[in-house]
Amino acid sequence: MNLIDENGTRIDGRKVDELRPIKMEVGVLKNADGSAYIEWGKNKIVAAVYGPKECHPKHLALADRAVMKCRYHMAPFSVSDRKAPQPSRREIELSKVTREALAPALILEEYPRTAIEIYVEVLTSDGGSRGAGITAAAAALADAGIPMRDLVVACAAGKAQDHLILDLNDEEDKEGQVDLPVALMPNLGEVTLLQMDGILTREEFETAFKMALEGCKKVYEIQREAVMQRYFGESRPINKEA
Amino acid sequence: MPGDLIAEGDFHPLANTYRVGDKVYSLRVGLSEVEGNKVKVIPLTGPYVPKVDDVVVGLVTEVSAFAWTVDINSFFPAFIPAQSVFGRRFSPEKDELAREFDVGDAIVAVVAAFDRSKDPMLSVSGPRLGRVPNGQLLKISPVKVPRLIGRRGSMSKMIEDASGCKLVIGQNGYLIVTGPPEGMVLAAEAIRMVEDQAHTSGLTEKVERFLAEKLGLQPPAAPEGGANEGRTPAGDGQAPEGSASNNSKSLEEEERE
Amino acid sequence: MSVSSRKSLFVENLRKNAMVEMLSKGQRTDGRGLTDFRKLTIKAGTMIKAEGSAQVDLGNTRVIAGVKIAAGAPFPDTPDEGVLIVGAEVLPIASAYAEPGPPDEDTIELARVVDRGVRESHMVDLKQMVIEPGKKVYTVFVDVTVINVDGNLLDATSYAVVTALATTKFKKMTIKEDQVVQLEETSALPVTTIPVSVTVARVGNILFLDPTSEEESIREARLTFATTEGKPCAAQKGGTSGFTPEEVLKALDLAVEKAKTIEPILREAIDSAKKGSAN
Repeated sequence: MNLIDENGTRIDGRKVDELRPIKMEVGVLKNADGSAYIEWGKNKIVAAVYGPKECHPKHLALADRAVMKCRYHMAPFSVSDRKAPQPSRREIELSKVTREALAPALILEEYPRTAIEIYVEVLTSDGGSRGAGITAAAAALADAGIPMRDLVVACAAGKAQDHLILDLNDEEDKEGQVDLPVALMPNLGEVTLLQMDGILTREEFETAFKMALEGCKKVYEIQREAVMQRYFGESRPINKEA
Repeated sequence: MPGDLIAEGDFHPLANTYRVGDKVYSLRVGLSEVEGNKVKVIPLTGPYVPKVDDVVVGLVTEVSAFAWTVDINSFFPAFIPAQSVFGRRFSPEKDELAREFDVGDAIVAVVAAFDRSKDPMLSVSGPRLGRVPNGQLLKISPVKVPRLIGRRGSMSKMIEDASGCKLVIGQNGYLIVTGPPEGMVLAAEAIRMVEDQAHTSGLTEKVERFLAEKLGLQPPAAPEGGANEGRTPAGDGQAPEGSASNNSKSLEEEERE
Repeated sequence: MSVSSRKSLFVENLRKNAMVEMLSKGQRTDGRGLTDFRKLTIKAGTMIKAEGSAQVDLGNTRVIAGVKIAAGAPFPDTPDEGVLIVGAEVLPIASAYAEPGPPDEDTIELARVVDRGVRESHMVDLKQMVIEPGKKVYTVFVDVTVINVDGNLLDATSYAVVTALATTKFKKMTIKEDQVVQLEETSALPVTTIPVSVTVARVGNILFLDPTSEEESIREARLTFATTEGKPCAAQKGGTSGFTPEEVLKALDLAVEKAKTIEPILREAIDSAKKGSAN
């Protein structure tokens, strides 16, 4: 399969540094304390937050801070070959990695003895679902009114057919050479998720890494817009001035 | 929004903000407010955090031999110890708690004690506290309560006058509306309107107009710039407890974060 | 569900403060410098019923990896490749906080990250692990048992897995009349490279390597890099804090640099095992 042609165009028509189209909506679930829905390329993911709430079972509660409970879960119909509903090892790892990507942003000391539950439900998966899930989950946390140092936004870069590319879709992830998902707290400039599989030279790593960070910043604009839309009903440019 | 830079320099971070070096960032989605060198964010979403002396409306969810468990829309259930109602001579064999308040009852109470290590405790001793015999329970987002009360109770009074109903507004976002059925419908609509548009300016006016139209009255003439709007960020020192009167200033002056 | 409160080694604040203070001066409580590894001992071939094995002692952390090879079906999307599966288990004997039962999320992460380091570096050429293309291939099971936990399981496990794979000797198989038959001919695995895992821990803005369990109680985040010939082939960030982009690149450089001293230790263990079994 030719992932990238002579002109540097990818199979879905994108350039090497182009993001897939992303749509986000915040506050989509009536019952959850916070929620967000994201369509990122063909990915369709809904994230929901319940909390802060009483921590059950009680023995897991912490006296000085909230407990984070996070689940990344794929619907059986989210991929071509039906995925059994039981958590796979990959989902268990991604649940941990998602929690560790969001934890640096939360002020858990604000609500001791409670639990904050974060659910990322992947309805359709097409490459980069963990990044889309984290981005939606952070918006859902903000929607729930949980104090956060910053939002968290994620994006992957990688390598396919010897080109460094941004935002891998499913084919590029499967057939490509390197996948490098990154999550970032955009205002504080702190990387909260970094994974890689595939071989890169030191220079390629730096380039791909920076590409992913730039991608994160672009996704942040969309994420921010979605939250603003929910609460202020209109768009507003990012205001950096006090 | 969380992470937004609100102020830079010698600023003092107050509610819902934090400081790194000389930069003050927001912790929540809300409206930021800069008063002199003090910065805070008024959240537009979030849970109810019980505060001692808050008046709350609660729902009794459990009755045991020694206490009532009350849902106050927070992250812990609240309790009313039987002794606080029956007195020191309380005896579980003789005094039946369910006869005072039963599961499903709505009550108006005051937060008597709460710290982060214990569940909140309520008291129903006091005038206008206790079981709510009739009316309708409505729920709004707790962070919108100050807007619904309005400066010195002006918003809630306006709705009460127009609908002929009485409003008991709990700081926890639960409220009781009592009155004639059509009035209750009107009040509920007005309350929804305040909740949906809490972040906008000119809200008092809009609600006033809405109520007047519904009642078939002549809507009041739009005053210059709005009677309650356009105040400077310095705010009103006479604002009643919990009322975010500063919310009603013009949005051009405020920064929305 | 991933839950943030989990039992782990309890370290009193006095000790934590002491460790942080020493780290800020570039020292550790056991006298090491920030980038020094503890004593690393690797013994290959100790599990005689396994086709390949290695025991790694990294300070007090002890890990044993065993390789078992069977015949199996290939994955549907790679019909001409053998299968490699890395699993891990932290035994209840390994620490007061380890319970019997299915692997928890940390252990699953451990297995998957080590697997990635091996797989993405193409350490074992799986294309040469085919018995009958599309039908039967060699399945290489690498199972790791953690015997004692004292920090840096990620690196210790990786070294054990790599050494075990590199010293594996297995009887080749073929298909005779629709049956899988084991031959007398033994073979080593087709190994193309030796990937080296180095985990970088961060507290404040100090980066340090090879944390003990105690040091893991103060570390805010970790970044593991597996490298092959100086090139990163796998990475995993862990912990509930983050890294600045500069710290990420610095950590990568530390990992690449350290791999230069770790690789010879791995090769030494592999070579001496090969020499020993050749007699």
